[in-house]
Amino acid sequence: MSNLFEAGVAIYVAMVVTLSVWIGIFMYLWRIDSQARALKRELERELQRELPVAPTATLTRVSEPAAQPVESEVIEK
Amino acid sequence: MAQRLAQIAKLTIGLWLAGVAVAMFLVVPQYEGLGDAGRIVIMHVPTAWVSVVAFTVSAVYSALYLWRGNPRHDDFALAAAECGFLFTALATVTGMIFSQVVWGVFWNWDPRQTSIFVLLLIYAALFALRAAIDDPARRRQLGAVYALFAFVTMPFLVFVAPRVADSTLHPNCAFIQSSQCDGLTLGVGQVGLLGDRKVQLISLEQQGDQVAAEVIVSEPGLTSEATLVPTYSISAGDMQDRPEFPGMRFQLGLEGADLAAGTALLNIEAPGTGLLENQRTLFTFMAANIGFTALFIWMLNVRANLLGVQWALARRQGAWA
Repeated sequence: MSNLFEAGVAIYVAMVVTLSVWIGIFMYLWRIDSQARALKRELERELQRELPVAPTATLTRVSEPAAQPVESEVIEK
Repeated sequence: MAQRLAQIAKLTIGLWLAGVAVAMFLVVPQYEGLGDAGRIVIMHVPTAWVSVVAFTVSAVYSALYLWRGNPRHDDFALAAAECGFLFTALATVTGMIFSQVVWGVFWNWDPRQTSIFVLLLIYAALFALRAAIDDPARRRQLGAVYALFAFVTMPFLVFVAPRVADSTLHPNCAFIQSSQCDGLTLGVGQVGLLGDRKVQLISLEQQGDQVAAEVIVSEPGLTSEATLVPTYSISAGDMQDRPEFPGMRFQLGLEGADLAAGTALLNIEAPGTGLLENQRTLFTFMAANIGFTALFIWMLNVRANLLGVQWALARRQGAWA
């Protein structure tokens, strides 16, 4: 154990520790990134599903002799 | 296609910074007077640089939020401020390790250390402010205004304050050509400060081609003192003997002498000075700057996405976060 801190070896030990820390941070960031994007996609999909479909209606004038459709409009909720 | 490119870019960041870590230990040479401890400059300076970039990005997005009112801009402003805080903390910790090696203490309230500490406090107050306000619209508005004010202090605290201070030990001259490391001109018998050390010029005498200055150096708090004799070569016009300050790796240099007037120009010689003159160090240093900047952009996007998701979930649950 003590030879890990000898002059010729210590620099490699420090390098391995630094690389291990970086690999850990990288994997954590990668995982968080994937999960955040998946969650965002899921939320967008749910939002699309929950959006109410705008109802459409055709109004017809019934009192006039010629019952012609006069206008169409979209009624928004 | 865009997503695949993004994945490749992230993998490249991972490999790039792993390469920088390896180069830091195996490619960059040791520095005279610092040994292996000087390698920390490859991490320390880029993290400080990224913190400046991050706080600037935070200010830009804060201004955009105040102008347009888009909550997405506020997410990016907060994410950038958080990244900036993290990188500033990393720069502080790596600086403290350097400080322990060259000065013998982790923290000695050097102007550079003090200014970075104040900057950390200013941005910590931003997070405290945001956490204290429940109404999201008001929180975003006040947060954006505060972030702009915080950004105004940043250039002063990072670039100006440590350079106008007479007694910093931070080796600025290593990196910025125009940095003022002018030293201290003393007459025989006069007292002055170099860094946090009191120095007193006792005598100045010519010995052949050399001028020798006898200087008494006192430890901070005047706990102990030592006599150092730096020399200056008249024919070479350069410093010769540069004794080390007691207990630290900085050296005392005699940069000039006027025997007729009895004055000497004394200066602290930082072991880090001239680090980047070495090509391998310079390339590794540049690679580290590029890698850390790319890492910041990635972290910024991840954090902003998370804030966006958090906000969407809170709105969906009918509760304002």
